[in-house]
Amino acid sequence: MLVFTAIATGTATATAATTAATTSSSSTAASEVLTVSAAASLTGAFRELAADFRRRHPGTVVRLNLGASSSLLRQIQAGAPVDVFAAADRTSIEALRSSGHLRSQPLPLARNRLQIAVKPGNPLRLRGLADLGRAPVLALCGATAPCGRYAATALQRAGVRLERSRLSRGTDARATLLAVSRGDADAAIVYATDVRAAGRAVQGVEIAAAQNISAWYGLAIVRAGGARPIDRAFVDHATSARGQAILRRHGFAAP
Amino acid sequence: MARSVRHSPRLLRSLLPLSLLAVLFLALPLVGLLQGVRWTSLLSDLAAPQAREALGLSLLSSLLATALALLLGLPLAWSLARERFPGRELVRALVILPMVLPPVVGGLALLGAYGRSGGLIGGWLHQALGVQLTFSLAGVVVAQTFVALPFLVLAVEGGLRGIDPRYEQAAATLGAAPLACFLRVTLRLLLPSLAAGTALAWARALGEFGATITFAGNIEGRTQTAPLAVYLLLESQPAAAYALSFALVLLSLAVIIGLRGRWWSLGR
Repeated sequence: MLVFTAIATGTATATAATTAATTSSSSTAASEVLTVSAAASLTGAFRELAADFRRRHPGTVVRLNLGASSSLLRQIQAGAPVDVFAAADRTSIEALRSSGHLRSQPLPLARNRLQIAVKPGNPLRLRGLADLGRAPVLALCGATAPCGRYAATALQRAGVRLERSRLSRGTDARATLLAVSRGDADAAIVYATDVRAAGRAVQGVEIAAAQNISAWYGLAIVRAGGARPIDRAFVDHATSARGQAILRRHGFAAP
Repeated sequence: MARSVRHSPRLLRSLLPLSLLAVLFLALPLVGLLQGVRWTSLLSDLAAPQAREALGLSLLSSLLATALALLLGLPLAWSLARERFPGRELVRALVILPMVLPPVVGGLALLGAYGRSGGLIGGWLHQALGVQLTFSLAGVVVAQTFVALPFLVLAVEGGLRGIDPRYEQAAATLGAAPLACFLRVTLRLLLPSLAAGTALAWARALGEFGATITFAGNIEGRTQTAPLAVYLLLESQPAAAYALSFALVLLSLAVIIGLRGRWWSLGR
């Protein structure tokens, strides 16, 4: 459902972009449409990246399809018309390699780490993963989503075992954080960038470096008909100094 | 309806191929779903802990939601159909709203009212009564009732409006006590729409997704109902997701067959 919502918002952005494109570039030839499937944690960064790319390539329409990398991967394998895929883990990209969907060498995009998101003021005084046993309800990403698998690794490293009956699973990183920012979950394990994007609605608690993971983000062209120049241009833009500056501003580390 | 169609046989013949298109449009996805079901392991897929728990939870919560909808909805339907009061149209609009509202928005609205932190009365419920609806079975039932109630109220209100008051008057003139009059005349005439409304409300509760995941969360064995499990299992255990989907289709079909001729044969 939340993936569908993301697609819907993506489409809405694209519609807005279409109107903008038609008014600004009546001289250019038929506008090219670029569909980018991106991990939900990249939402803010990729909206800005897409807007920046459109300014550089007038007449191009960028459609964002945001969701858990594992869901996006499944969509691409089921034949979704996607041109570029930006995933929050290597596993999703490698899965596309083995199913023969990659049209370019995957490039590293960014790195990210996990944080514990708590209610403003940290009412339960949680100081790290070991304290999560005190949280009545903990929100985690779906077990197959990258953030869900990263969280499982971190919890394992910290030697924390949590009862199943206290774990609520979100469909992707952003949906998982919503359980704390809008709902009644006491804590969530999400990316540090998600906590930052949520502003004052939540507060971040650092996870000890020895327990934390370093999430690898990468992107590749997956267009069924083969890469077009515009697809390569987008990948180049995202990995350029300019694109990387946008990612840094949203809290992502260098790849 | 049927009579007016009989008057224009030529039109009827020309519309038949188009109707077939609609039938195909509805049937094809169902066939597609059946195609995804792994029949050889259907029972063991359904018996897998996550699937079995989700299905059990769905049955329990949807039945409780239907009961709650009956409890809340019957008096309201009666008032809407039989009483005149200011703001009646406004109340009816309010009743229809959850039907057309995106369920996720419904879930957010429920959080705004009953959420422990930040809900209008949720904080008080928690402090004074120790009740927390979010992340609990009660929360699932509340979310399902919220979306299912309109179906019950509208069906029953329509049924009540369709009853010719002269039957009740005749029974009263013939000396039937008010209660007997209600039970033996009104209720009996209302039964088809009551059954239809109950079944539709139950089916809507059973299929609820957006309001549930937003308001009650997605805890395995506690708030993860069958639709939520279908969505989450799709990546890790697709066979279980399809088996659950098939079970939901069977349950829905059972409702339709059970209601055969109750709410769509009115024009016959």
